[in-house]
Amino acid sequence: MNCEEYKQAISADPSFDGGASHVAECSACQAFRNEILAMDATIGKALAIDVPKLEMPELPDIRLENVVALEPRRRNAPLWLAAAATVVVAVVLGLRMTGSDVAYNSLADEIIAHLDHEPGALVVTNEAVSNRRLARVVPANIAQLEHSPGLITYAQSCEINGNTVPHLVMQGEYGPVTIILLPEEKVSAAVDLSGENIRGVLLPVGDGSIAIIGDKNESLAPIRESVVNSVMWDT
Amino acid sequence: MSNNSDASNRRHRFDRLVGVFHADMYRYAAWLSRDRSIAEDVVQEALLRAWKSLDALRDDGAAKQWLLTIVRRENARYFERKRLETVDIDNLTASQSAELAEAPDPKVDEMREAIFQLDDDYREPLVLQVLMGYSTTEIAELMGLKQGAVLTRLHRARHKLKDLM
Repeated sequence: MNCEEYKQAISADPSFDGGASHVAECSACQAFRNEILAMDATIGKALAIDVPKLEMPELPDIRLENVVALEPRRRNAPLWLAAAATVVVAVVLGLRMTGSDVAYNSLADEIIAHLDHEPGALVVTNEAVSNRRLARVVPANIAQLEHSPGLITYAQSCEINGNTVPHLVMQGEYGPVTIILLPEEKVSAAVDLSGENIRGVLLPVGDGSIAIIGDKNESLAPIRESVVNSVMWDT
Repeated sequence: MSNNSDASNRRHRFDRLVGVFHADMYRYAAWLSRDRSIAEDVVQEALLRAWKSLDALRDDGAAKQWLLTIVRRENARYFERKRLETVDIDNLTASQSAELAEAPDPKVDEMREAIFQLDDDYREPLVLQVLMGYSTTEIAELMGLKQGAVLTRLHRARHKLKDLM
């Protein structure tokens, strides 16, 4: 490690403890470190502004009987369609057992159906998947997500429209947010995936697309921006 | 009876979490917006939102990051809503930093002014690192950046502060 590298590292993170052998012999870097530490003490004091007394807003009653565990996300559908879907699921299960594939009307329909295939993914948790698992599910040529776009708690390789694609879940403000990266699926325009309980979009990104689906109250814009910036295919 | 008890426990839990993290929420909002009254509005909205979605927080150990994320989004929403009707926050003068606080130590005041002048991109990770004690990995997660980008911004932030001081 040389002086320039050391100064850059310690000015980015004053707790940096690498380069010990260099700094032990370099008086310039010792002085620089002391200067940074002193400056950080002043920064700390400057940032610690007075805090006004807590004034709690008027909090609405929450009907606890309505607070339930997160359910698999469903689009708004009429009852007849729900009943028909039940029949379809039964048929699908039968077909799957015989090794047949299912045809969906659209990519959007297949994505929504896929969410219900993996309800275990939709859990509120603070436990991130390991970087190793993330790297296994999301190859570097598809996206680089190790430190962004947020807390990723589920990563699974799944099959959508015949392609193996990364299915991720990130923790949003209102619960889990599903992200499916579809580098092979080009769409000409954004497709709304929102429904009664969900807000979602299938977004065209270069020669592929990305599906992002969360709670109906979730703000998807920051997640969308981060994910789009992380993908590696041509945009 | 059970519902009353559950509601009481819920409120108790919320009060406890807010009691612990209110100062962090306010300071974060104040440095994001560079305005005390906006910070108070943002924190009020954030508290309301946190109350409504408290049941989504299963692990109280994650409460700080959860609350700060809500503050961050509320701040963004605030400026999105006010975009067309407020002054350009980037044109605020350094002297307005005095509105945030005045310290008895002139060196601290001078530093506060310098921090006030930093671009949002540099000020926010600095606040998270120095004030909130976040690691660069945690800052990257919260801000949706790569860790390398956070390190670069922090390095530049301190470099600019040295110049300004």
